[in-house]
Amino acid sequence: MLIVRGALAVAMILCGIVILARTLTMLGAGLAILPGVVLAVAMIALGLHRLSLIRRARKAT
Amino acid sequence: MSAKTRTAGPELRRSVTPWGSFSWGYSDVGADIFVGLGLVLAWAAGASNVAFLFAGVVYVCIGLAYTELASTYPVAGGGQYFVMRGLGDLFGFIAGWAVLLDFTIDVTLFAWSSVDYTSQLIPALVNSIHPWLHFIVVLSLVLGLCLLNVIGVRESTAFNGFVSALDVLSETLILCLGFLFAFRPSLLVHAMQFNWPTPYELMLGTSLAIVSFVGLESISQAAQETQRPASIIPRTSVSLILTILIFALAYSNLALGLHPWHPIADASGHSLQFWQIFPHNSDNQGKAVALLAAQVPYYGVIAALYVPVLGAVLLLISSNSGVFGSSRIAYAMSRSNLLPSIFQHVHRRFRTPAISIVFFSTIAVVELIFAAAPALYPAVASLYARFFHGENGLGFLADLYAFGAATSYSFVFLGLIGLRLRDPLSPRKFKIPLNVPMRFHGERVEFPLIAVIGFIGIFSILLFTLRTHALGRIFGPSWLLLGILLYLVYRRHRRLPLLRSQKHDWREAQVEILRSSGELELMDEYIANVKASDARRAGKPS
Repeated sequence: MLIVRGALAVAMILCGIVILARTLTMLGAGLAILPGVVLAVAMIALGLHRLSLIRRARKAT
Repeated sequence: MSAKTRTAGPELRRSVTPWGSFSWGYSDVGADIFVGLGLVLAWAAGASNVAFLFAGVVYVCIGLAYTELASTYPVAGGGQYFVMRGLGDLFGFIAGWAVLLDFTIDVTLFAWSSVDYTSQLIPALVNSIHPWLHFIVVLSLVLGLCLLNVIGVRESTAFNGFVSALDVLSETLILCLGFLFAFRPSLLVHAMQFNWPTPYELMLGTSLAIVSFVGLESISQAAQETQRPASIIPRTSVSLILTILIFALAYSNLALGLHPWHPIADASGHSLQFWQIFPHNSDNQGKAVALLAAQVPYYGVIAALYVPVLGAVLLLISSNSGVFGSSRIAYAMSRSNLLPSIFQHVHRRFRTPAISIVFFSTIAVVELIFAAAPALYPAVASLYARFFHGENGLGFLADLYAFGAATSYSFVFLGLIGLRLRDPLSPRKFKIPLNVPMRFHGERVEFPLIAVIGFIGIFSILLFTLRTHALGRIFGPSWLLLGILLYLVYRRHRRLPLLRSQKHDWREAQVEILRSSGELELMDEYIANVKASDARRAGKPS
């Protein structure tokens, strides 16, 4: 179960990185990219948070 | 201070696990996007994602504040308890009274929206076509929930967990498939560049966006029933906060850049972007997520059938949490002598706070009548059109919801600052980041900068609400004034201080809170901190 959760967390981080990269290529759109950047950062942060929880759970067992 | 403690009455069983804690919060906050998305798209148009971004950043600050407070003081009283402890009885009452407004609105708004989602499958329930039937069904739901709560039936944590898991999965599928098959970045940029709202509309949209993030009270509601709350709550809350933020931002971006699977056209045959079906159409505003899911290629065929049902169930759970939560908050406020003792009355047979439940459900019904009146009586509609910008039922409820949330959250930020200054000895396993160390009354304290940023953000949303919500700016402050009047009469009757606080032994209370939550290490740390502080003040070595 931990492996599945870990894979989902990594997938979320990768999605966040892809969104961030694609959003940053549209810098010319100005303010329009801001919600996309925050969305990507939130996804990366949630993925990292989930990974840290999984690491803690593995240590505990 | 004595570490010896006593138990005054039966305590809530601590059986909520990390997933249970997450799903409890999710079933409350997660339902909000089902209501908020359509309302924000209707007003903020091409800036809907910016409105969600602003409200979302404020919400992250609120979430962090609740996480710190609920893990430090794991009691079911929620915002009113934190504010009462940080700022005193009167402000605690105002915060609690604003939360009570939100809970009563919660009951009506989510029952209303639950019927709107059902109307996607049963067209007879569409409000604009059969307003009386819509009204009767919503009224029946409110009365039914009231009855279920009086006789003591609640949805189980397991059911909450199942619905939350199904919802997270469904929303993730809608977003992933939507972004993969139907999202056109050029449409998003076009909508933002050519359909940017006026400052008034953007303020209105932003104040409505906060509706999508209301319900963080549930974090503290769950705290008293969570195992090892100081450890569990920060873990689950951070996941909850980020999940809700991601969904809100993703939905608003997807809705603006969605290339509809089935072409949408207006009455004159001009093709429309997806988000353009929401302005001036309250029927669509109430079921935005179901309409969006149906426009996702391929998956939309299945989603069109089950997303309305899922939305209706999730919204009904949220509506139920309003009935349950209002009675619990009133119970906690009554125990703190902020409300009359009648709200502590427990029904002999059912062992539930029946009077509280019936009282606040009655208020919810009154709010429903105000919301439904323009659709039911043309004379009232013309009155609303003349004096209140022609607001519809959903708009009226969202107005008050935004007002109550912005008011109570503003006080929670002030309460957090107050508690950091007045209670630096309580161990905090989770602290919101960005703190400035300083000395206050001889103690080392940490001043929370995020709380100041969050307060400025939520207070500006409160000002937006007062500026742009024609009904909210009248009914919201009226609710607060009525409450303060009742509070003063009650306190005078009980010969308690009117504007000052009664005496509380917060040290004894904190030891009891930590003991009953099973956080014995934190309890020992707190007692050691108190002894060291007392020794320092007496000039003795600790």
